[in-house]
Amino acid sequence: MSVKLRKPALVACVGLLAFAATACSSGGSGSTSSNNNDTNAGAPANSNVPPWCGAKKTSLALADGFGDNNWRQVATAEAKAEIAKCPNVTSFSYADGQGNTQKAISDIQGLVAKGAKAIVVFPDAGQAVLPALRSAYQAGAVTVPYRVSPGGKAGVDYDQFVSTDFKQAGVLWGQWLVKALHDKGNVLNLGGPPANSQSLAEYEGMQSVLKDHPGIKFVGPTPYSVTNWDAAQTQKVITAALAKYPKIDAITTDFGSALASSFSAFSQAGRQIPAIATEDSNELACDWQKDKDAGHEWPLFTVSSQNAMSRLAVDVAVAKATGGVMPSSTVYPQTPFEDSISGKPHPVTCDKSLPMSAFVSSSLTPAQQIAALK
Amino acid sequence: MTISKESAPGPVQSPSGAPDTGILRRIPAGRASRGLITICAATVVLFVVSLIAQPDSLSHSSLQGMLPFAAVLAIIALGQTLVIQQGGIDLSVPGTVSLSVIIVTHYPNGDNGKLFVAILLAYLAALAAGLLNGLIVSLLGLSAIVTTLGTNALLYGLVISISHGSPTTTTHAMHTIATKQFAGLPYAVYYAVVLTALVGFALKRTVVGRRFEAVGDNPAAAKMAGLQLYRHQTAAYVWATLLYCTAGILLGGIITTPSAFQGDSQLLPSVAAVVLGGTSLLGGKGSPVASAIAALFLSQLDQFVLTLGVNPATSNIVQAVSLGAGVAVYAIRWSAVRDLLRRLRSRSEPVEA
Repeated sequence: MSVKLRKPALVACVGLLAFAATACSSGGSGSTSSNNNDTNAGAPANSNVPPWCGAKKTSLALADGFGDNNWRQVATAEAKAEIAKCPNVTSFSYADGQGNTQKAISDIQGLVAKGAKAIVVFPDAGQAVLPALRSAYQAGAVTVPYRVSPGGKAGVDYDQFVSTDFKQAGVLWGQWLVKALHDKGNVLNLGGPPANSQSLAEYEGMQSVLKDHPGIKFVGPTPYSVTNWDAAQTQKVITAALAKYPKIDAITTDFGSALASSFSAFSQAGRQIPAIATEDSNELACDWQKDKDAGHEWPLFTVSSQNAMSRLAVDVAVAKATGGVMPSSTVYPQTPFEDSISGKPHPVTCDKSLPMSAFVSSSLTPAQQIAALK
Repeated sequence: MTISKESAPGPVQSPSGAPDTGILRRIPAGRASRGLITICAATVVLFVVSLIAQPDSLSHSSLQGMLPFAAVLAIIALGQTLVIQQGGIDLSVPGTVSLSVIIVTHYPNGDNGKLFVAILLAYLAALAAGLLNGLIVSLLGLSAIVTTLGTNALLYGLVISISHGSPTTTTHAMHTIATKQFAGLPYAVYYAVVLTALVGFALKRTVVGRRFEAVGDNPAAAKMAGLQLYRHQTAAYVWATLLYCTAGILLGGIITTPSAFQGDSQLLPSVAAVVLGGTSLLGGKGSPVASAIAALFLSQLDQFVLTLGVNPATSNIVQAVSLGAGVAVYAIRWSAVRDLLRRLRSRSEPVEA
């Protein structure tokens, strides 16, 4: 399905999002003007236009391999808000691959055939979509895959891959565990499907820190217990781990919401919820708040869910297509978000005005995020 | 044991007198089937092995964690049994379960007051899906695989349009309905036991149930006996989806924040439970009680392997081997094996002499 914004709609969108852009800008830019004046060709429309938005006009498309979950919806809304900052992006199309590799491939080809000059791709199917990326690149469209590596090479198969270092998330979790467990304790690590690169990299990151702290040990299968990022499976895994290991001091997981569903397993086993290091989730934060209010506080640390990563991919694609200034890095940094112990960089934040499926770390305004998740 | 295809009854002389004679009389109802005996024995063996190899997997908290999921799978397996008894297969399990979960979590959105209406809506949606499956398969004669796959896609369309893929936290009342305990067991277990007893009784002890099995066992003979095939076949799909819906509602309560695609992982285990329970994929012969016990077997096997803490590859192999062994019990002609062994023995004796 493709959602195409016509020029008036884009201008309206720019106006609507202008205020948000001020607060959200990842590149430090200010609000954008809805003035889309052709006479300014060759120079930014005004001083508030971010440097990545060059003088040439372009049309941008976002091809999402799978668009129907809360993370993707927020990430897509972030991308749209970013695009709205650049008046020289004259049209925007979106396609949802619906988890179907064939559709994801034909989406990329279709968007380029329809005249998209720049295309940002979430290549869920990895290498399977590489030929489609290559043909888009060879057809002259600026092609920017992000977050999941499609293999291939920048400059040969596509313009630029915007990546993130999941190992760094593991490093941050490891450093916090050392602090939270005072150098001693058992850690249960949960991950997604077997052999997925994200969960493996996170484990490697933790290992790189914890190897110097022999008092902290992993219990359960390593590198991680397979949960398939499924709430029911997570609950079964937690039940089994609680039965087998009388002492679990911390749990690390890359899907905090699924873990929140398993809290009843702790009460069933008559156990306290241990320290948790994960990615931020409004639901998890609100559960933490509820337990804190009830006097059962547990230590919580989160890294940002990185929904705003789509903004960096947009910046790169638009900079290449419009002749703007390329961002200084194409690697989106892993950053700590909440820490219940130090309160830095943020205390645990439950935002009751947002849906439980929202991400407090998102750079969207609450209204934008509510609209994105509707 | 019920009749096989080969021993299906011949033409009945008077169709009007069918209920009392011929076809129905030849399907015994009271005896425990071979499937039921086998799966009961296998389940006992599994629990004994669990007790010896990994007693933690039978600890109180472990059982409390496993039983609600076993109950959900048992209820789904009951529905799948009905469909498979009619020679069909229902691939719309994931869509129906996911849609039920989504309706009962998204519509109330945490408000207990809206839960009753949400449950009604979920059953209405399931009824519509069941009728769609049943009528297309029975009246238009389309393949069950194609029809239910199509319905599943349609249901997923609804799931995505309602939820946009986002999970929603279940209401407090829903959680209580599914997981509160009575006499040390979660409510979900009682629902599963009652539903299994009802379906088992209806199939084995009522005229309607005996007709239902007769239609599944030999549609041609049943038709000649004056039974209306489409009515029984449609009923199988409708009752099945209503059972999946019940399971979905329970699943929504057990998992406090179920995902939008929570039914995905239920399809294969539901078919596995039916096969392990000894229901013939060709239709007819089947036992709802055996399917429900097979669901308990599969859930405990899952929990046992998880508690062992083996790597995912070993875990998959253990489950596949168990399933293969279970199916082999029915697939292998043991009489032929016995004959072969006897022949081999008799051949070896003269040599020794």
